[in-house]
Amino acid sequence: MRHCTPEDLGLAALGEPLPADEAAHLAGCARCGDEVAALRRGVEALAVPELAAPGPPVAPPPGLWAGIAAATGVGVAPRAHVVAASAPPAGVPDSPPLPVGAGPVPPPADPPLAPVVPLRPRRSRVLLAAAAALVAGLAIGAGAVALRGGDDAGGSGVPVAAATLDPLAESDASGRAEVVERADGTLVLEVDLAAGAPAEGYYEAWLLTESVSGLIPLGVVRTGSEQFELPAGLDLGEYPVVDVSIEQLDGDPTHSGVSVARGQLA
Amino acid sequence: MTDLLGPRTSQRPRTVGWVTTEATPAAPDASGPDDAEVGRRFAAGDEQALAWAYERWAAQVHGMAVRAFGPGPDAEDVTQQTFVSAWTGRSGFRPEQGPLPAWLVGVARHKIADTWARRDRQRRAAEAAAAEAQRLPAVGPAPVDSAVADRVLLLGELDRLGQPQRGIIELAFFADLTHTQIAERTGLPLGTVKSHIRRTLERLRDRLEVDGAALHA
Ligand SMILES: [Zn+2]
Repeated sequence: MRHCTPEDLGLAALGEPLPADEAAHLAGCARCGDEVAALRRGVEALAVPELAAPGPPVAPPPGLWAGIAAATGVGVAPRAHVVAASAPPAGVPDSPPLPVGAGPVPPPADPPLAPVVPLRPRRSRVLLAAAAALVAGLAIGAGAVALRGGDDAGGSGVPVAAATLDPLAESDASGRAEVVERADGTLVLEVDLAAGAPAEGYYEAWLLTESVSGLIPLGVVRTGSEQFELPAGLDLGEYPVVDVSIEQLDGDPTHSGVSVARGQLA
Repeated sequence: MTDLLGPRTSQRPRTVGWVTTEATPAAPDASGPDDAEVGRRFAAGDEQALAWAYERWAAQVHGMAVRAFGPGPDAEDVTQQTFVSAWTGRSGFRPEQGPLPAWLVGVARHKIADTWARRDRQRRAAEAAAAEAQRLPAVGPAPVDSAVADRVLLLGELDRLGQPQRGIIELAFFADLTHTQIAERTGLPLGTVKSHIRRTLERLRDRLEVDGAALHA
């Protein structure tokens, strides 16, 4: 029995009709049918309407840019009337949203946001990890240096929060962060980082909101232990995520998007 | 020796540097450079290019987000995170590989898939809490929605594809074109399109078999 060609099995997985004799064989052949089923799983995962090429444009609400500006530090702004003119004024598609693949989760009950600046922090922990994943060839020096251990800032303060820094993406970096309150009320973040030297650039520590609508740069981190005095009045509940990124010596003060370790203060 | 093919090649490129489903031209805007120049400046880190990109393509990205989640916070998160990640991850954008709006749409797909995954985690946490509250007999953790996890995994795999493989499979998946239509659109021979489709589908299958199993365990 002559089986279908691999090319035809691929087309069948995409749902394309095959020539009659190929289709007849496929209908009666378990081996070819299994192969189509295996190939179809990827098709079914990705070829869904929600991921399809853009349909009707919808102008984003006016407040949305503020969060992007806050997260990126970009100082220029799009012209609001140009953004508003880029989609029909109704701003809402005719059809209701498609059912999503995430099971019976009702749509968020809260109404669309008013143009609040910045957007209130929300849930996403994904943050910049996807951006980091987009950066091809991210290479981190192999061979982690042993973690120095979590000495409590020399006993010079009261621990108020701590986080384990877990490696992200292909990173081997890890560590621990601890916030202590000094006698004078200032907060100090101590970062213990175990990581190989970056192939290029340097490590920098950040505090992030959960939705990455805000980032606070703390400074350069070397392997070992570093302390950073936190800005007065900083609300750690609002910036609970400690992030370590690789930054290039390019004079760009914004986050590179290449994060190597991250943890949530608790 | 190319004379024989001259008339055809003049109509269609024989090779494609990139193929895309989403190169929607921007609305005419006398005050800014053309889209390709915006892309080059974006890649070079020119902040003005981010503002131009937002002016031209935020409505397309937000349209996708609203189509997936309806208007509201989830859609707004997707749009916001798409532009933040695109900017902070701009070193991953290669202007010679495709236009900036197509790349932004690719980033938006990741954000949509990530949001599904987050909702799925919340659903399982809520179900576990509900079972706990009702003192139901322990039935183990609620199952992960495998399609949700597969999407995150496979979108990452698409990012690893070179051109023209990536453009071809995107036309098949996201523009719903047949292999014949893809060949017409790109000028690539039918056999080439078919073999790229096969190889990409096999690659996605392998990725699911290797990593998907662990993910769902
Ligand atoms: Zn067969």
